[in-house]
Amino acid sequence: MKLTSYIVTGLLLSLFLGCGRNYEVPVPYKFDNTPGSGRFTSSIRRAMEGVYGVTTGSGQFGEQVALKWTYTVNGSDTTHYLSIFTGADAAFFSMEGSSQTDSLVVKGFWRKLVNTENGLSRLTLKVKRNNEMRAYTDDLSLGDTLVLNGTYGEQTADSFQPLTLTYRRPLNKSPFAILAHRGGGRTSDLLPASENSLDIIKLASRLGATGVEIDVRYTKDGVPILYHDNTLNLRLIQKNGLAGPIEDYTYQQLSALVRLINGEKIPTLEEALETVISNTSLDFVWLDTKYIGPMDKMQAIQQKYRQKALLARRNVRIVIGLPTTDALESYEALSDKANTPVLCELDTAITRRLNARIWAPRWTLGPQTEEVKAMKAEGRTVFVWTLDEAEFIRQFVDENSFDGILSNYSPLVAYYHYVRQ
Amino acid sequence: MFLCLYSLSTYGQQVELAPADSLDTKRGPYTIVVTAGGGLSYFSSRIGVPPSLEQTRINRFGIPASLRVMWYPDHRLRVGIETGWMTMYSYRGQVDSEPVRVRVSTIPILLVFSMPLAWLRGTDRSLVRRLSVTAGTGAFLNQSRLNYAGTVAANTSSLGWMVSGSYTQPISRQLRVAGELKWFDAVAAENAAFMAEIQLVWRAFSW
Repeated sequence: MKLTSYIVTGLLLSLFLGCGRNYEVPVPYKFDNTPGSGRFTSSIRRAMEGVYGVTTGSGQFGEQVALKWTYTVNGSDTTHYLSIFTGADAAFFSMEGSSQTDSLVVKGFWRKLVNTENGLSRLTLKVKRNNEMRAYTDDLSLGDTLVLNGTYGEQTADSFQPLTLTYRRPLNKSPFAILAHRGGGRTSDLLPASENSLDIIKLASRLGATGVEIDVRYTKDGVPILYHDNTLNLRLIQKNGLAGPIEDYTYQQLSALVRLINGEKIPTLEEALETVISNTSLDFVWLDTKYIGPMDKMQAIQQKYRQKALLARRNVRIVIGLPTTDALESYEALSDKANTPVLCELDTAITRRLNARIWAPRWTLGPQTEEVKAMKAEGRTVFVWTLDEAEFIRQFVDENSFDGILSNYSPLVAYYHYVRQ
Repeated sequence: MFLCLYSLSTYGQQVELAPADSLDTKRGPYTIVVTAGGGLSYFSSRIGVPPSLEQTRINRFGIPASLRVMWYPDHRLRVGIETGWMTMYSYRGQVDSEPVRVRVSTIPILLVFSMPLAWLRGTDRSLVRRLSVTAGTGAFLNQSRLNYAGTVAANTSSLGWMVSGSYTQPISRQLRVAGELKWFDAVAAENAAFMAEIQLVWRAFSW
């Protein structure tokens, strides 16, 4: 009897240790990505943007949400997407206009970033006129209220729940930088694209971002690439047997053999900046210096793409982040610092000495109200990083002292910013 | 699992020592036992081969070597350290007609516990005394070597564990040969291999 209990205990322990759950969140909706926005003309899109009350479905998505249209550009084609940002569990909707019906219908999916909950959603735009719901045809009159009416599903369940969103007021239009960490979001949050990939940069504005932070390292042959960790590891790349510092590999080796978790190539810094300028509406790029060494190559790329942006009539700010004293030394070693905007993550004294136009303290240092006021009075921009706590995001947005927040949960920052009155 | 082994060790000891004089405090003998072995391994985890690779050939077999130093006290639970070297897997192919070869190997550095199965039945002289189970945990130094557009040799460490079962046959007062079946798992690197080894067991010294 005693022996049996030992064996059973051993087996249970083995089972417990051997059954680690592998989390995945496949996107339940396949986007058509048809250029344009279907039946949603630019005036309809403009009218739709705003803060909506959640009339039905608030148990899942909170009392109110923010609707915003975004777009990606591919050559001469522009494709529009509707994002809905909620304050509940960093949930967001990503949808596209459907051209398969006569009505104004958006279809897509929703996802909660703090867990693995997601599902399909389908909403129809209507107008409430004289207490009557009718199809909307771009003819908004005084007293009319826009209503998005439809359903959302949970995970792979066949049943759908009702969802009704009723227009309340326009979005908060005050300037504020919503900066998405690692190009748009972390791989560990199980987004449909890997962190620091071209795909996540293209997705960033649909996640609420107005700018991105990307991590820059060098390959063995000196090519600046996007990669966060200092080694190749299974957290960030698909299994291929390769390990060790990424700086030990040439760009040819990485390009041929290494794929990020969702199958993308590790992009070069030039590819990433080209994507920001040519394919997105993002207007800010924070180059996080993850390497130790000369900064001249990164500086040259920064200046080259700033010029490209201006030629493309895009006002994209590209700044070099200085997170450490090593990065600071590399910056100070540059022979010519003209036209090289930097973002200083170190203290205010160093920021002033460098005359950095942007100061970015970590959020755990608190609101630092006096320092932030002083830096802003000197004409500097102040961001805070990397803030993912909903309550602190709300507090920092409401206090309106910072000019922007860097977060892994850009939909949450977008929600609190756009609904602020 | 170690608690389990320890409990079993104590259980066996009680049965064995029951008739002895409870006033006799003399302990021992204690023995240091060195085990060296080699054999064949089979990599059993998923192998990730880059999708860009053409004409891929995968080799899951390797020739492992191991060295284990154990302290055999006067009770059944033994403790020691184990290290060695083993090829986990390798693959080769071509990218744009250029040859690619990747080889992954590992050096385990493990704290291991071992115990003969004598508690099951019989006495020290019975056959089950020669059967033992071993379990351990520690670090795996995973090495990868890439040959493609140059050579890159890199290391990464991973926590992991092993479990094995062996049969030991005495051939002299100090030497034994053993056959052992092992399972190695470098968890964080997702590298796991099954291996069969022939071992030489040397009772280096006793006191």
